[in-house]
Amino acid sequence: MKTLRAFLPLSLVVFSLYGQGLPPAKWQQPPTDSWPMFNGDYSGRRFSPLKKINDQNVGSLSLSWVYRITAPGAIKATPIVSDGVMYFTVPDHVWAVDARNGREIWHFQWPSKGGIHIGNRGVGIYGKWLYFETPDCNLVALNLKDGKERWHKPICELDQMYFGSTAPLIVKNHIIVGVSGDDLDVPGYIQSHDPETGEMQWRWYAHPQPGDPEAKSWPSVETMLHGGGMVWGSTTYDPELNLIYFGTGNPQPVIAGDGRMGDNLYTESIVAINPDNGKMKWYFQPSPHDTHDWDAIQTPVLIDGEINGQKRKLLAQASRNGYFFVLDRATGKNVVTSKFAKANWASGIDAKGQPIPDPKKFPQKDGALVAPNQAGAANWPPPSFSPDTGLFYINSADAYSVYYIFDEDPKPEGWGGNDRGGWSEGILKAIDYKTGKTRWSHKWEGAGGPRSGVLATAGNLVFAGDPSNNFIALNAKTGEPLWHANLGNSLSNAPISFEMDGSQYVMVGAGDTVWSFVMNGK
Amino acid sequence: MGTIQYEARLAAKVAMRANQYFGKNSVQTNLPISKALLAAMLTAICLEAQPRGGPPRLPDGSGRDLVQRVCGTTCHGPEIVAGKGQGKDQWLATVNSMVSRGAKISDAEFSQVMDYLVSSLPPKAMASPPQRGGGGLTAGADDNHVVDRAASTRGRTIYIAECITCHGPKARGVSEGPPANQGADVVRSLVVLKDRYGSTVSAFMKKGHPMQSGNASAGLSADQMIDLAHFLHDKVGDTLRSGPYNKILNVLTGDAKAGQAYFSGAGGCTKCHSTTGDLKGVGAKYDPPTLQQKFLFPRTQGFGRRGGGGFATSKPVTVAVTANGLTVSGVLDKLDDFNVSLRDSEGEYRSFKVTKDVKVVKNDPYQAHADLLDKYTDKNMHDIVAYLESLK
Repeated sequence: MKTLRAFLPLSLVVFSLYGQGLPPAKWQQPPTDSWPMFNGDYSGRRFSPLKKINDQNVGSLSLSWVYRITAPGAIKATPIVSDGVMYFTVPDHVWAVDARNGREIWHFQWPSKGGIHIGNRGVGIYGKWLYFETPDCNLVALNLKDGKERWHKPICELDQMYFGSTAPLIVKNHIIVGVSGDDLDVPGYIQSHDPETGEMQWRWYAHPQPGDPEAKSWPSVETMLHGGGMVWGSTTYDPELNLIYFGTGNPQPVIAGDGRMGDNLYTESIVAINPDNGKMKWYFQPSPHDTHDWDAIQTPVLIDGEINGQKRKLLAQASRNGYFFVLDRATGKNVVTSKFAKANWASGIDAKGQPIPDPKKFPQKDGALVAPNQAGAANWPPPSFSPDTGLFYINSADAYSVYYIFDEDPKPEGWGGNDRGGWSEGILKAIDYKTGKTRWSHKWEGAGGPRSGVLATAGNLVFAGDPSNNFIALNAKTGEPLWHANLGNSLSNAPISFEMDGSQYVMVGAGDTVWSFVMNGK
Repeated sequence: MGTIQYEARLAAKVAMRANQYFGKNSVQTNLPISKALLAAMLTAICLEAQPRGGPPRLPDGSGRDLVQRVCGTTCHGPEIVAGKGQGKDQWLATVNSMVSRGAKISDAEFSQVMDYLVSSLPPKAMASPPQRGGGGLTAGADDNHVVDRAASTRGRTIYIAECITCHGPKARGVSEGPPANQGADVVRSLVVLKDRYGSTVSAFMKKGHPMQSGNASAGLSADQMIDLAHFLHDKVGDTLRSGPYNKILNVLTGDAKAGQAYFSGAGGCTKCHSTTGDLKGVGAKYDPPTLQQKFLFPRTQGFGRRGGGGFATSKPVTVAVTANGLTVSGVLDKLDDFNVSLRDSEGEYRSFKVTKDVKVVKNDPYQAHADLLDKYTDKNMHDIVAYLESLK
C-alpha cells in the first residue's frame, strides 16, 4: 500500500485539473465511473482501482453485450466512456454506443481523401466535444451528443505521406496531437490546438534547430530536417511538473542509415515538454541511431515510487527495442536500464543509460540476424502498471528476423531496406520497476501473434490477450490464468474497466467487435 | 526554336548523357511522340484515377473470403491488401512477413492465399492506381498522380538532357561538385509531391528554371512538361517501399568451407540432416535468399524456387495428449492455456480441455532451428548459405 499512497497526491491533482473548465460535474470525480481518456488517466498506468471483479470471483465474469462495426478495419482504439456512453474509432469512423447495452447512438463517417488506414487509437473528449485524427491529416471536432461536425483543421501534409492515427490528449486548454508516416523522409512532430477554435497553438519538431549542440547528432542540416521521428504513441502528463511525456518514432531513411551517421536526435527519444508552449525540458534516447524501425513510442508510464528508500517521480517505458527504462521524470536522468526481451543489437550501455548500437547489427546487404524483429519486443499496444503490486505488465515478444539493405545508393531515401522472415514467441511479463527484473512471465503457446494491450486492476487481476484469440484474466501477483473467453479474433486494443449502475465492467475490442463483460450481482 | 528541332537536339544530348549515367544504348531517342496518343492515354489515366467511392473491397476470385478473413480482419482491414498490386516474389515476401508477425494460416491456406494474391492483385499495369506506400499500405492521397510508363520514359529523356547534372540520376539532388550544379532533391520537393499530371511541375517550369541546354524551361512544350512530371513521380514511386529497390541484393558472401565445418560441427545440423539425403541438391532447389531464410526460419515459405512450381510444406508440430491414462497423439492443431486439439493418424479431429491432470507433450521438429538463433553469428549464417548453395 505504500506505493499506492505515494501516488495519491498526483492522482488528486490529475483528476481535479482534468475536470477544470469542463461543465459536467461528474468529471471532477476520480474516474471509476468512466474511462475518460486513452490511458484511463494522465499517468498512463491503465490501472483500475476497482475491485468488484477480483481474483476470487473472476470465474463468474459474464458477457453483457457485443457491438459489431460495419466498416473495414480492426478496433485499435481504446474506447472512452463518459456518462454511460462509449466512444471509439476505426480510421474515418467514430461511434457513440450506449455502454449499458451496446446500442448505437450515432456513427460519424469522415469522407476520406486518402492516407494510410492502418489504425486509429481513439478520441479525446473535452466538455461537449470530441476530437479525433483522420488518415488524411485532419483533426476533427464533433459534438458529443449527436456526432455532428463542429470543425476540422489540417494537422499534416497528405502529399508528403503523413497520416493521422493517434488519440488526441486534452491537457488544460490544449488538444495535443501527434502525426504518423514514414514512407518519405519528413520530420515528425507533435502540436497543440485550441479546443474551441481549432487553431494551432504550438508545434514541436522531433529534431534540434540548426546550431543546437544536438544538431551534431546528424551529418548535415538536410539529413536532420528530413530525419523522421513521428509522434504516434500515447502521451502522459504530470500536472505538478506541468510536463507532457511521449516517445518519438524511427529516423529516416528507416533502414539504410549510413547517410545519417550519428545519434539522430530527437528520433527514438522519450521527450518531456511544457504543454503550454511546446518547449522541451529534457530528452532520453532509447535507440540512438536506430536502423530497425523500433519507434520508441511506447507509453511513458508515470510511477510515483520509491528507489532505495527515496520517494521518486519516475517514468517507465518497455521499449520496442527490447529494453526497459526507468527515468527520473523531472530531469530525464536514467534510474534503471534492463533487457525485458531478447535483444542482440547493442554492444553495451552508455553512461546515460542508453544502449550503444552495435554496427555489426545494422542492416546489411547480405543480412544481419537481429533480435527483436521489426514488430519489436513491444509495440503500440499499451502496458499497465499496478501500484498495488509494483509491477509493470507488458505483453512482449522474443523475436528474430534478418535485416537487409536493399538500396546501396549513397543517398538512400524512404526505407532503403527491410527485415524478412522471422521467428517469435509472445510472453506476458511482470517487471519490477525498481530493478527492471522480470518477477514473473507467462509464455503464450503459438507463434508470435498480435499482442494486446494490458489492464491491471486493484482486484489483483491483469487482463490481456494471447495469440489464440483468448481474452484472459491472470493473477496479478503470480501470473496464473484465472478466467478466459475465446473471442474468435485476437484482441486488437487494450481492455478498460469502469463501474456503472453499481457493477464493474471490463470491455475490450477484438477485430471488428467490442465485447462488454460484467460482474453481475451486487 | 521549333519543337521538332528542339527534340532533335534533345535526342543527341540524351544519347550522350545516357551513356554517362545508365550505360550504352540505355535510352531510345525516337521523338517526337504522338500528341493524340498521349491525350488519349491521359484521359484514360484520369478516368481510372477517380477517387474511390465507398469502402474498398477485395476483387472477386477464388480464395477471396479466405484472404478477407486471414489478411483483412485482425490487424488491418482488407483495403490495406486491396490497395496493393505486386509480383509473386513480393507477395511471398509480404505474406511471409505477415506470418512471422502472427497471421494465422495453415500451409494449405498459404497456397490459397498466394494463388489469390498473385492472380487477383498483380503488379499495377499502366493507367491503374499507383503503387504507393509499403507493406500493403496506401500512403498519400487517393487522387495521387498515376504514372504512365510511356510518358515517364519520354520524361526520362527530357530529364537526362536537361536536369540530371544538377538533380542526379535518381532525382535525389546533387550535393557535391561545382556549387552551380548542386540541385535540390526533387523526390522530396512539394512541387512534385503536390503535382497531378503536370499541375505544379508545369507551372514551375513555365516560371523559368535553369536547364542543362541553356534553353528557357518555359520553352518546353506542355506535353513535355507533363512527361517530365510523370518521370519525377516515377522517381518518388521508386523511393517508396513498393519500389524497385525493395528486394534482397546478394546474400552469397560467406565461406562454403567454413559453412561445412559449422554444419557438421558446432551447428549440429547432421543430427537431422544429410547432404546426400534430404539436402541433396538443395542449392539447385532454392535461390540463396530462400536458402538463408529457410534454415534460419524453416516455416518460411520460399522466395522463389528455381524451376518454379509450388511451395514447400513445413513439417508439422506433433503432440501427445494423455488424459485418464489414455494417450492420443497426432498433428497439433491448436494449443493454448486452456485447450489442445489435434488430428490423429486416422485424420480424426480431437480436442481436450487442458487441466493439471492432462499431460501435453509437444514436439516441434524445427525446435533445434529456433534454439540456434541464439547461437549463430552473422558469419555462421553467411557461411551456411554459401555451403548450402554449393550443394548442387
